[in-house]
Amino acid sequence: MTWNRPLLIGLLVALLALSWWRLQPDDETIHRSQLLMGTVVEIMAAGMPSGKLETAVDAAFAEIARLDKLLSRYQLDSDVSHLSQSDNGRQVTAETAEVLALGLDVALRSGGAFDLTLGRLNALWTIDGETPSIPHHDAIAAALIGTGPTALTLDSRQVTKQTTQLQIDLGGIAKGYAVDRAIAVLKQQGVTSAAINAGGDMYLLGQRPERPWRIGIQHPRQKGAVLETVQVSDQAVVTSGDYERFFEQDGIRYHHIFDPQSGQPARGCQSVTIITDSVALGDALATAVFVLGPKAGLQLLGQYPRAEGLIVAADGTLHTSPGWERYRAAP
Amino acid sequence: MKTPWQIMTVGDWLVVLLLLAASLTGLAWVATAPQGTRVVVTSGEQVLFTAPVDSPHSLSFDGPLGPTRLVIDDQGVRITDSPCSRKTCISMGPARHSGDLLACVPNRILVRIDSPADPKAPYDLLSR
Amino acid sequence: MTCSAVDPRELTRARRRVFLALFIAIAVSLHILETLLPSPVPWLRLGLANVMTLAALYLYGGRAAWTVSLARVGLGALLLGRLFSPGFWLAAAGAVVATAAMIIMYRVVGRRLSPIGISAIGAAGHALGQILAARLLVIQHEAIWQIFPLFLFFTVFSGILTGWLAAGLLTQLGQHPAFQATVHADTTR
Repeated sequence: MTWNRPLLIGLLVALLALSWWRLQPDDETIHRSQLLMGTVVEIMAAGMPSGKLETAVDAAFAEIARLDKLLSRYQLDSDVSHLSQSDNGRQVTAETAEVLALGLDVALRSGGAFDLTLGRLNALWTIDGETPSIPHHDAIAAALIGTGPTALTLDSRQVTKQTTQLQIDLGGIAKGYAVDRAIAVLKQQGVTSAAINAGGDMYLLGQRPERPWRIGIQHPRQKGAVLETVQVSDQAVVTSGDYERFFEQDGIRYHHIFDPQSGQPARGCQSVTIITDSVALGDALATAVFVLGPKAGLQLLGQYPRAEGLIVAADGTLHTSPGWERYRAAP
Repeated sequence: MKTPWQIMTVGDWLVVLLLLAASLTGLAWVATAPQGTRVVVTSGEQVLFTAPVDSPHSLSFDGPLGPTRLVIDDQGVRITDSPCSRKTCISMGPARHSGDLLACVPNRILVRIDSPADPKAPYDLLSR
Repeated sequence: MTCSAVDPRELTRARRRVFLALFIAIAVSLHILETLLPSPVPWLRLGLANVMTLAALYLYGGRAAWTVSLARVGLGALLLGRLFSPGFWLAAAGAVVATAAMIIMYRVVGRRLSPIGISAIGAAGHALGQILAARLLVIQHEAIWQIFPLFLFFTVFSGILTGWLAAGLLTQLGQHPAFQATVHADTTR
């Protein structure tokens, strides 16, 4: 019958369309991890065929490995190590200069709460070592000589050290910088949805295919529990806490975030989480706020309109900066 | 009334067999589709081992410091022994959920639970 | 049984209308009866109503088959209070694909197949239509396709059953004068 032929054709076309649609390459999400910079670096990426995602993620890991070689104080041949060994300073690479510039700015604005020059102090405390112990008072004092926000000056790529013994430790800010650069690499490769987490230094690019990225914030005292969940897109989330690397002696916890004034672990907070535009800045601010404590810390954050923070004070109370609310996700 | 096979023509049999074959192929395809949560153990770039998360295993992986022992059972995946000094990896406890990670950083052994990113998970990553 | 005062074509048309209405009524009854019977999976039925669609197809052609199947779905849903519910759309989609498939097969290779073959195609089409509708309306997830192969497997057997019943019905009806003079009003073969 005449009206059955169009039906037949219609059905054939429908079948063809269905097959064609089914055979489209799938947009996938991939999740890869590697041990880099002394920690686990996870990268999640989505929104492109998995072959292209793999290439982009490999490039991102390669960039992080490259920066690790440059900025780590544990690598004897790194730019940072050379700087620490030098007498009065030297010329550094563009990347090192960038990190130093950012770090020095936060150091100044935080009144020295964030400090890039604690290399000797960190080496003294050996929190990560085999037999951690409390260093002697005099040793701490000696390690603090010459440190502070003015101990280094930077002029384009020339660094000047005020004291020869000064040891530079970029610590967390270097990890944050590496993540920022890795994100740039992903963007360059066309990725629009990704997450990079380097042991707590995190950047969330774009959104997940169906919703914004949701980040849980570790509860500082309850293992496996989450303090809050935040929903972010195109932001960095950095947490500094006293619970990751520490040892206890006589019931007192000794962790790895030192107060540059006393040379002892800072006692004002249990953990600090910062959400801002770049991981490097978030890292520096998280450390600075941790050292400053809730009150002075929130004041410091006030100087950075594009940064918000969540502080768990030493007594367990929660403090947030005014704009933090907008990141809170319903549990 | 005649039985079905008395009525069925060659064409009928063809149709029936074709449909059954299609359904069985589909079944096979579905059964072999890659799915399910897996444990993946890596050292650097190299994948050392992978298995479904519900298959019991007890094995050992060699890193620069020596052997790290891994156990997969109904509690999940955990590191039971490692030559590192702090033994942080052992205290990390059993990993069960997609995205969970265990690592012996000094021995360069990384264990992760892999599965397609779950849109319904409470959070995608943990900040700590 | 003829009435001499009536034009035979008119008579044929009248008979067609009456019997189709009867077929629809039987199909709806069978459908409702099936719904009342227990089944392991709620919407997995034998599809006995399809027997009537097949009968209509063989006796009166494609248009009649559409009439019976669509009316069955609509009236069945109306009577069960499920009009425009998700289940209704699934059944409707299933019926549409099934009927279309059966008509096409009948036209193209009808000579080489018995009602059993046509019915098997219809059952498969029914399954396909339902899964498609489920994928679009109910579960927006590719995982739904994973049950399709199993579903298809079982419908082949229910298709053979209903085809067999339809063949038996057609044989019986064919022996009655009311159906012997039947001309397919809209098929020109």
